Amino acid sequence: MIGIKTEKRMSRESILKAVKKNKPESLPLPEIDLGIFEENINLVETFIGNLNFVGGRAIQLNNITEMDAEIKKLYPNASKIVSCVKESALGTISIDKETDPHSLEDIDLAIIKGELAVAENGAIWVTDQDFTIRALPFITNDLVLVVSTNDMYLHMHHVYEAIAKRDRTFGVFISGPSKTADIEQCLVVGAHGAMSLTVFIV
Amino acid sequence: MAHADEAAIFNKDEAKVDWHDKALWFVRQKRDKSAHNVQGWEELRNLASALKANVLSNLDTYLLQFEENAKKNGVTVHWAANAEEHNKIVHSILVKHGVKRMVKSKSMLTEECHLNPYLEANNIEVIDTDLGERIVQLAKEPPSHIVLPAIHKKKEEVDVLFQEHLGTKPCDGDPQYLTGEARKHLRDKFLKAEAAITGVNFAIADTGGFVVCTNEGNADMGVHLAKVHIACMGMEKLIPQEKHLGVFLRLLGRSATGQPITTYSSHFNKPAPGKEMHIVIVDNGRTEQLSREDFRASLHCIRCGACMNTCPIYRRSGGHSYKSTIPGPIGSILSPGLDLKKHSSLPFASTLCGSCSDVCPVKINIHEQLYKWRQIIVKEVPQPGVKKNILKIAGRVLANSAMYHVAGKSARFMLKYAPRFVIYSKLNAWGKARDLPEVKNGNFDDWYKNRKKNE
Amino acid sequence: MLKFVTDLKNFKSDFLIYIKMKVGLFIPCYINQLYPQVGIATLELLEKLGVEVIYPTGQTCCGQPLGNSGYEDDSKGICQLFVENFKEFDYIVGPSGSCVYHVKKHFDILEQTEDVKRVRKNTYELCQFIHDVLGKTDLGASFPHKVGLHKSCHGLRGLRLGSCSERMDPHYSTEEDLLKNVKGLQLQTLNRVDECCGFGGTFSVFEEAISTKMGKDRIQDHIDSDVEVITGADHSCLMHMEGLINRNKQPLKVMHIAEILNSSI
Repeated sequence: MIGIKTEKRMSRESILKAVKKNKPESLPLPEIDLGIFEENINLVETFIGNLNFVGGRAIQLNNITEMDAEIKKLYPNASKIVSCVKESALGTISIDKETDPHSLEDIDLAIIKGELAVAENGAIWVTDQDFTIRALPFITNDLVLVVSTNDMYLHMHHVYEAIAKRDRTFGVFISGPSKTADIEQCLVVGAHGAMSLTVFIV
Repeated sequence: MAHADEAAIFNKDEAKVDWHDKALWFVRQKRDKSAHNVQGWEELRNLASALKANVLSNLDTYLLQFEENAKKNGVTVHWAANAEEHNKIVHSILVKHGVKRMVKSKSMLTEECHLNPYLEANNIEVIDTDLGERIVQLAKEPPSHIVLPAIHKKKEEVDVLFQEHLGTKPCDGDPQYLTGEARKHLRDKFLKAEAAITGVNFAIADTGGFVVCTNEGNADMGVHLAKVHIACMGMEKLIPQEKHLGVFLRLLGRSATGQPITTYSSHFNKPAPGKEMHIVIVDNGRTEQLSREDFRASLHCIRCGACMNTCPIYRRSGGHSYKSTIPGPIGSILSPGLDLKKHSSLPFASTLCGSCSDVCPVKINIHEQLYKWRQIIVKEVPQPGVKKNILKIAGRVLANSAMYHVAGKSARFMLKYAPRFVIYSKLNAWGKARDLPEVKNGNFDDWYKNRKKNE
Repeated sequence: MLKFVTDLKNFKSDFLIYIKMKVGLFIPCYINQLYPQVGIATLELLEKLGVEVIYPTGQTCCGQPLGNSGYEDDSKGICQLFVENFKEFDYIVGPSGSCVYHVKKHFDILEQTEDVKRVRKNTYELCQFIHDVLGKTDLGASFPHKVGLHKSCHGLRGLRLGSCSERMDPHYSTEEDLLKNVKGLQLQTLNRVDECCGFGGTFSVFEEAISTKMGKDRIQDHIDSDVEVITGADHSCLMHMEGLINRNKQPLKVMHIAEILNSSI
C-alpha cells in the first residue's frame, strides 16, 4: 500500500516537472468580446425552433395552472409520476435525498423546473437542487421541464454569466430527448435517457 | 500493414466505399449548416484556439489549480504517467469497492490505454454503454471513428450481431427496433453496475469541475446509479474558467454532428451524498508532445471528429485503415508522437488538402503538421529504397538546369516512344487506373526558344 | 510597388503598359515538359493584358515533389536555384497554385535573405495576379461551353484564392470572377464545391487506390453537373483527372484556366 502511494506521488511530481519544462512561453488568456455574438432575435421563437430541431416539444402556457391538464393530455397512461414542481399536483411518487435511484427504474414521468433556457440550442439548465436525485431526469421514461420566459437567454456566453453564482454540485444542460444515430446515421429518439421531452414555457 | 495497403483492401468493395463516404459527408453537411447558424463562428474558433494555447502554456499551473479545487469538492485526484499506471489506478479503485460489474461511457482515453482488456483479465465485467461502442465491443473491434464508433457497420450487420449476442429477432436492420433492444439490454447493465467510468470533455481549473457530453444519456445513467464514478482525462482537457465552456460547448456539438449542443452536457462538481468521485489525470505521451514545438497544437483537440468527416481519404478508407486509437487526420498527427515507426505511414495518408485544418473548431494546423511529420519520418524510419533514391536523385537533377533539361527530354522521349506494355507495367502505380499524359512534340522551353529566334 | 499598382486600379487598364513592372514567368516543371500549351496560354494571356513577361530559361522546379514526400532537406538546392532565377523580378507569376503555394509557404527552409524574402512575397498564382494585382476580371475571352471549376486545394486553402466550404466567411472566388466574364461560358454548380481530387503529388502513386477513387468521384460530380470542360488553376489535379477520363473514355475535356481565359472565337 505504501508502495502505491509513493508511486502516485512520484507520477504527479514527474508529470508536473515535465510540463513545466516542456510548455511554451506563456500566452495570454483571450478576452471574450460578446459584442460579436449579439443578435437581435426573438428568444422564445428561436428556442422553440431549436427545441423542435433536437426532437423536443414546446408548449406555451399563459399560466402554469394550465399545465397539469396539458400533461394529462400528453401522457394519459403515465401513472408513476415524480413531480418536483410545486405547481403540479400530478406526482404519485415522492422522493427525497435518501431515495435509492434504482427504485426509480420504472418511473413513467418526471416533472422538473428548469432554471433557464438557451435559445441558440434549445437546451434547459437544471441542477440536482431542482430534482433531488441525480438519476431522475435520465432514468424516467418521459420528461417534462418547465421554464419561465423570463429565464430565456440568447446563447451560452450569457448563460454562464447567469449561473456563475451557484452551489456547484451537479447540473446539466438538456437539449431534447435522449437519442442516437449510431446505427447507420439513422436518428432514433430514446437511447438510454428519456424517450421524450416536453418543455412548458410559462 | 501500411495505410495504403489497408486502404486498397477497403477499396475492393466500391459500393461500400461510396456508402461510407456518403454517410460521413452527410455529417459534414450537417456540421456546415449548423455552423452557418452561428454568428461569429470564425471568431469562436479563434477564441477556442487561443484559449487552448493559453492552457498549454500554463498547463502546470492549471493542473495544480484544478487538483486543489477538485479536492475541495470532495473528489479524489489521481495522476498517471502512462497507460499502465492509469489502468492500475482504475483497477485499485474497483478492488477497494469490490466492484465486479462496471459500465463505461465513451472515453477515447480508456481506448488509448486499453483499459477494457486489462480489467477483463482481472475478472471485472466492463460494458461499453454508448450504442456505437457497444456494437463494436460485441463485434470485438476497435471503434472506427471517435464520435461514431460503428460508422463502418451496416445496419444489417448490427442486426446479425444483436441476434447472436442479445437474442433479438431478425429485423432487416431496423434501427428503431435494434436501438430499443439495446436500451433494454443496457438498462439492465446500468442497474447492476457498481461503478461507472466516464471520459472528460472539459475540466475547469477554477472550479475543479468537469463536463461530460453525450447524446444518449449513457454517462449519466451509469454515474448516477453506481456508487463510484471514475472520470479519466487526458491532461490537455483543461480549460481555465467555467465561462470558457460557453465557447467550447458552442463549437463541440455543431462540429461533431451538426447538433447545436449535445443532448446532455453534464457538469460534475461534487459527488452525490454517500458516493465517491475519482478523477484520473493521464499523461501517456502528452508532455512529450507538449515539448514538440511543431506538433504541440495537436493537444488542442476536443475530439469532435470533424476532421474525419471532412477528410476525403478517411471517408474512402475507413477508420480501421489507420490502425491507431484515434484515426483520421488528427490521429495521423497524434499517433506518430507515440510510436513513430508503427504509425509512420499515417502522415502520408493525405493529399495535404487542408480541409481538416479549416473545419477544426480549435484551428489545429493539421495538414501543416502532417507535412512536418513527413520530414521527420523519412529521416528516422527506413524508407523504401526506390522512393528514397528517386527523390534524392530528383533533388540533385532539379537543382541543376542543364541536368534537368537532359532529364526532361529523355523522360518525354521515353513516354512517347516506349511501348505501352513497358509504360503500363506493374511498377507503374500511376498507370493502373489512369492514362499518362500525351506527350507533345516539344516542351515549353523549346517553344519559347523558337519564338525568341523568330522575333 | 504593390501598393502603387493597387492605387492605379482606377486608371484605365492600358495605363499599366507604362508601368515598367518586371514580371518573371514561372512555368512549373511538369507543365514545361508535358503541357507546353498551358505555358504558352499563360504567356500569351499576360502579354495580351499588357504585361511584359520574361521567362528565365534556367528554371527547373519549386521543390514541391520532394518537400511533400518528406525530402525537404534534399530540395534546398532546387529552392535556391528558383530564387537565383527569379530574384530580379517585381512579380513572379505561374499557372499552378500548388507550386506557388510551395514557394510562399515552404521556402522557409532557406536562409531568409532579402532575395528569398522578396521572391516568396512576390510570387503569384496567375489568376491571383490578374485579379488582385492587375485588378482585372473581364479579359475579353470567349468560350461557349459548360464549364466545371475544380478548386485545387493548395490554391483554395493555401493561397486563399477563394472562400472554402469549411469556413463561414463571405463567398468569394478569384477564378469564378474571371470565368464569369468569359463570353458564352456557363459555369456549372457542383454538388461538392471544393473536395480534393486525390492527386496529392506522390500520394497519387503511393496511395494509388484512394487517389484514383477520389479522382473518379470528382469527375462523376462534374458529369452529374452537366459539365463539358473541367478547368482549374492547377494542372497537376487536371492531369490526374485527365488520366482517369482518358482511361475510362469519359465525355469530358480538361483545360487549364489560362487556356480558357486566353481563348477567343
